[in-house]
Amino acid sequence: MKNPAHLDYDTLADLAEGLLEDDHAASVNAHLESCADCRDRSADLADVSRLLAEAPTPAMPADLASRIDSAIAAESLHSAQVVSLEQRRGRRHWRLLSAAAATAIVLGGGAMVGKAALEGSDGDASTAAKTPVMDGSDGGAAMRSSARAPGAATEGSGPRRDTLAAPVTFTVAASGTDYRASSLGPQVGDLLGKGGESRTEGRAPDARLSECVASVTRGKTPALVDSARYEGGPATVIAVRAAKPDAWEIWVVGPDCSAQDTRELKHTVAGG
Amino acid sequence: MASVSTRPVDETPDKELLARHAAGDPHAFAELVNRHRDRMWAVAVRTLGDPEEAADALQDACLSAFRAAGRFRGDAAVTTWLHRIVVNACLDRIRRKSVRPATPMGDDATFDAVAPKAPDPTDAHGVALDVRSALAVLPFEQRAALVLVDMMGYSVDDAARVLEVPPGTIKSRCARGRARLAPLLTHHRNRPGPRNVGGVEGGGTPR
Repeated sequence: MKNPAHLDYDTLADLAEGLLEDDHAASVNAHLESCADCRDRSADLADVSRLLAEAPTPAMPADLASRIDSAIAAESLHSAQVVSLEQRRGRRHWRLLSAAAATAIVLGGGAMVGKAALEGSDGDASTAAKTPVMDGSDGGAAMRSSARAPGAATEGSGPRRDTLAAPVTFTVAASGTDYRASSLGPQVGDLLGKGGESRTEGRAPDARLSECVASVTRGKTPALVDSARYEGGPATVIAVRAAKPDAWEIWVVGPDCSAQDTRELKHTVAGG
Repeated sequence: MASVSTRPVDETPDKELLARHAAGDPHAFAELVNRHRDRMWAVAVRTLGDPEEAADALQDACLSAFRAAGRFRGDAAVTTWLHRIVVNACLDRIRRKSVRPATPMGDDATFDAVAPKAPDPTDAHGVALDVRSALAVLPFEQRAALVLVDMMGYSVDDAARVLEVPPGTIKSRCARGRARLAPLLTHHRNRPGPRNVGGVEGGGTPR
């Protein structure tokens, strides 16, 4: 501004939005009365809003509607399968099951420790989550069986979660991995496939993350929840064992993932 | 299906569609998306500038909404909730782009769009391009606020609900954004009278 007495765009924009203190607004208005340049500048701001309002919206790509319809249809299929599984188990039952017979995998330093609460255990999730168990080769089988065979491990003995704040139980690792889109599957596979020499415990998730994970996996207990990095930015990597052996269904979500909005960055099935 | 939006009289309310979806109706969500897709697209493409990125963001948003629908709280309008998810999907896209080291196919167009161009005040297409590239210099929060308020016609209060910030924050973001855009767009003013616009602060070094 050549004349320091003139008003800059910021001041004028604040005036237009009623953001200035009363006495400041009064002096600005007084200046505007006497200064054509600043009135002009004020009109520039109004023009900005007008130009924005008049700017045409670029056309939607021709194939986008059908692309989205297909993606939703695929997702419907996926969720329908989950629902039918849920129904087979009994809707209330699966929540108890998930909370009680949780497969809680704790990761640290690239290795797996932790515990798969197996059928036949006492089903105490808090104990299960804290008891380091098996070596890695065993771990896969344990996870598979607990994920697939709810069985006797569950009903009644686990903590009741009728309010379903956290339908799945897990702990959150911080492996320090910087996941990459191109190597997501192998990176998860490395973490989950390795032996359990490390004993770094994960932390318990807060309520938001619990709900986030439950929403993302649709109630399936994750084999891995890793608060790490993805493509250089902070992210949470969630993996659930897929139907095929050694395959993982993997989601990458933003650090502010919640049930309302999972901030999903990536969803893929890898391995197998 | 898209024609549904032109017949609001016999429309099923949004919230009922969402409830049906949550209850397992396989068609309810698709209808909801079809109904609101155009405006969701407008939010995405104006926020991101690049149609390809916007298409991906819109698809992300639709799937996020699909999954989160069961947790929709009835205290907001469904459109508010949907647009919030779109804005968040756009932000996720931007975050990923900004950290992506290499630029795979398709990104050149985006960077071209981001780079401020020599103004061409002669045609509407030029105005549209200038508006897009000017918007691209704004921080995301300011851009999102201006997209909703100035471009989409949201009230400040509605924009505040979409972005989950106080109305005063929306006003402030809009004011900052307009102040930043003003020197970039002065050549499109359709008022008479040439003026000295050179060297106005804020316009020289778009980020």
